[in-house]
Amino acid sequence: MKSLFVQKLEELVGKSKVLSSETELLCYSYDSTPLISHQPDAIVRVISEEDIRLTLEFAAQEGLSVTTRGSGTGLSGGSVPVRGGIVIVTTAMNRITEIDADDLSVTVEPGVITADLHAAVEAENLFYPPDPGSMKVCTIGGNVAENAGGLRGLKYGITGDYVLALDTYLIDGAKVHYGTKCVKDVAGYNLTKFLTGSEGTLGIFSKITLKLIPRPRTKKTFLALYDDVIDAARTVSRIISSKIIPSTLELMDSVTINCVEDHVGIGLPRDVAALLLIETDGHPEVVREEAAAIEEACRANRARTVRVAKDLKESEELFTARRNALTALARVRPTTILEDVTVPRQAIPEMIATIQEAAKKYSIKIGTFGHAGDGNLHPTCLTDERDTEEIHRVEEAYDEIFKKAISLGGTISGEHGTGITKAKYLPQMVGPKAIEVMKRIKNAFDPEGRLNPGKIFLQDME
Amino acid sequence: MGKHADSEKIAKALATLDIHDYGDVLQCMRCGTCLPTCPTYRTDGIETQSPRGRVAMIKAVIDGRLPASEEFIGHMYHCLDCRNCQTVCPAGVKVGELVLEARHRIEENRPQAILKRFLLNYAIHDQKKLARYMIPLKLYQATGLQSLIRKYDILKLMSADLEFMEALLPPLPSRPLSETIPEEIPAVGKEKGRVGFFLGCAMNLMFSEVSRASIAILTRSGYTVVVPKNQQCCGTPNIAEGERKVYREMAEHNVSVFEGKRVEAIVTDCAACGSELKAYRETLGKQDRVAKKAEAFSSKVRDISEFLAIALGDDIKLGSIPGVVCFHDPCHLRHGQKLISPQRDLLRRIPGLTFRDIPDDGQCCGSAGIYNVTHHDRSMKILEAKVAAIDKTWAERVITSNPGCYMQLQYARKNWGKDWNVSHICEILRLSLERGDQE
Repeated sequence: MKSLFVQKLEELVGKSKVLSSETELLCYSYDSTPLISHQPDAIVRVISEEDIRLTLEFAAQEGLSVTTRGSGTGLSGGSVPVRGGIVIVTTAMNRITEIDADDLSVTVEPGVITADLHAAVEAENLFYPPDPGSMKVCTIGGNVAENAGGLRGLKYGITGDYVLALDTYLIDGAKVHYGTKCVKDVAGYNLTKFLTGSEGTLGIFSKITLKLIPRPRTKKTFLALYDDVIDAARTVSRIISSKIIPSTLELMDSVTINCVEDHVGIGLPRDVAALLLIETDGHPEVVREEAAAIEEACRANRARTVRVAKDLKESEELFTARRNALTALARVRPTTILEDVTVPRQAIPEMIATIQEAAKKYSIKIGTFGHAGDGNLHPTCLTDERDTEEIHRVEEAYDEIFKKAISLGGTISGEHGTGITKAKYLPQMVGPKAIEVMKRIKNAFDPEGRLNPGKIFLQDME
Repeated sequence: MGKHADSEKIAKALATLDIHDYGDVLQCMRCGTCLPTCPTYRTDGIETQSPRGRVAMIKAVIDGRLPASEEFIGHMYHCLDCRNCQTVCPAGVKVGELVLEARHRIEENRPQAILKRFLLNYAIHDQKKLARYMIPLKLYQATGLQSLIRKYDILKLMSADLEFMEALLPPLPSRPLSETIPEEIPAVGKEKGRVGFFLGCAMNLMFSEVSRASIAILTRSGYTVVVPKNQQCCGTPNIAEGERKVYREMAEHNVSVFEGKRVEAIVTDCAACGSELKAYRETLGKQDRVAKKAEAFSSKVRDISEFLAIALGDDIKLGSIPGVVCFHDPCHLRHGQKLISPQRDLLRRIPGLTFRDIPDDGQCCGSAGIYNVTHHDRSMKILEAKVAAIDKTWAERVITSNPGCYMQLQYARKNWGKDWNVSHICEILRLSLERGDQE
């Protein structure tokens, strides 16, 4: 039997857009975050702004919570409806409404898949750089809500650096438009910058305008192998201090490399301690110069070998090695817990040493890979959610890792968001006054606390 | 969907699932990499129609958080078993196989419809019998049998849209291939080796001319072809419908008819059969008595393209076939057997032929056994997407190597007025060989 509220909702937005059966509630109770799930009371697959408004007005009447969700690839629990209520799914709002090739911008609905956006703008010889790992699955709406990063973050920045304008629905169903296609726009408080990264707790995006840049003309890719992970970390510092910003600068440690070899087998030597995957792009002349300097930096820091990709195909193969990292790690144990601590780049060697010590101290397996070039590391714990005792040790290890990241001037989350999983570290990270300001802001937007409740702030603090 | 299921018994049966055999359901990270590859998620756009959702549902039934309700059972049958998700899954979760295992445990614990039991347990067993039941399909409608069968809530296959089924059927040969070819066909010229040939039911009964071409190519390539008598169905329909007992009997029988035939490979021109025959080493492998034999059998099985890509020597001249073609990868070939390059390598060897890839990374055509009958509307949506991708290649001919795909694509061509034709890869290879010989 459908509950009365589901029947009313169906009448309001149309039956085909409302999901509420037991399997549907189950399948919208999670995202990609391990160990966290909670069922909603109903799901609305919105196809228009009108659907968003009607759903929000209905939720207001009924006093229900609302949680927005794209493809559900988040890694901090941001789209899990931990207080039940209604889940608004945006994946059906997936039109690219305008590519402005003259003014270099693109306007999209929130459900557009990031990789589809890449393909559409690259066909016009334009470039949208943010490339989160899940780009073939995740949506732009989710990218803006979480201020997602990616492999190209160090040179090109992250999602927030490209958001020009947003249409945002507030919890009462009112719509706010803020921003223009102008790169310079300082009218009042910059709501666009402000709402980006708000993790679905302040509003729901219905239209997003993003800045584009010309597509880089060429690129060159390197793979450097090391006998000591610290040498790899030093290479990163050396490249950056020689005033070169590669488009990609990725690191994989020995645990990760060996897992890649065990499960994928791409011919990496098993005795290497670390590898760096480096790419530089842009004007051919600049790429040539930078490539020489990068190779020099690798060799000066005792790289065992430095391989340069001959062509696009070989470059693709090298990237495959990096993309296989999480793949391979995920196959080792049932549960894979991936974090995203980020530290200033000089502190990478120390951060890596801390991760290794924590793994040893708590007898757990951690593989580390990540975007070393911007200090964003992914210590990935390979564990088993059925073993509560081990999960406890994992939590203790992460506590130490997060504490260290903060003490090094880094952050508890470089790109995944605070969500549920890092809410308990946020007070240590930003301090009580900042938490208080954030709560006042949240209160101004959502006084009843119905929009994506249970996120960012610890429950007892709300 | 058969008769009322005993939800508790099914849940119990699922709870004992040896999940480690299926890439452990716990191994699913819920990362969603499978979503854009799944044909049903692409058409429906909702999580219950995704591999990630199916794993979550199975896990919830095992954990006792979800009853094994009719709704759950329905979802287990919405999967096409195309295994595209298995190709991309970072964690190595075998979602397709997991769903089939769930179906098996469901079917073991609910009453089976009479005709379904008859078809899976009896008719399919023997191709001679099957031939007798296949041919009068058209009569079936005319004789009023239809209403009788419908009254007894028999298999969906029979209560479905017969017009569609008839539109799918190719012109049937008067006699199955098995009745018209000898058990051993000698190599043309100097013998390079001996191969066995597995006659799939659909190929034997409906596409016998294609299999005749396949055998001709093998003999022309210097191989003596051995076609053992009394081959049975490979068992794919049984596995798909959760039936394992008769499956095992047929599989063991098929292994035995190729024993002692002194063949270096067992070739099939049906992608679905190839995929299943290769799986015998796993499906039969748990019984010591047959494990070794199954391993020896499966290790010899080759898809026709896989075999010819190596065996078709450079000394054999291929004649020119001008035109643009694309290859529709049967799921059982690309995702089931992980074969992508042999069929492309072969087509690229034909002079004058321009090969183009269909830009959809191996999406299913929606045929999927009897899915186009049991889930007709969704199958047609999946087919529409496939056809749109095919049209982007501007190909004049769509090549494939599975009878189900062949019929599904022919249906699209005839009913949606497409100006491309459909061929099995062996039809085009034989033509090229004939032209090469004439030149």
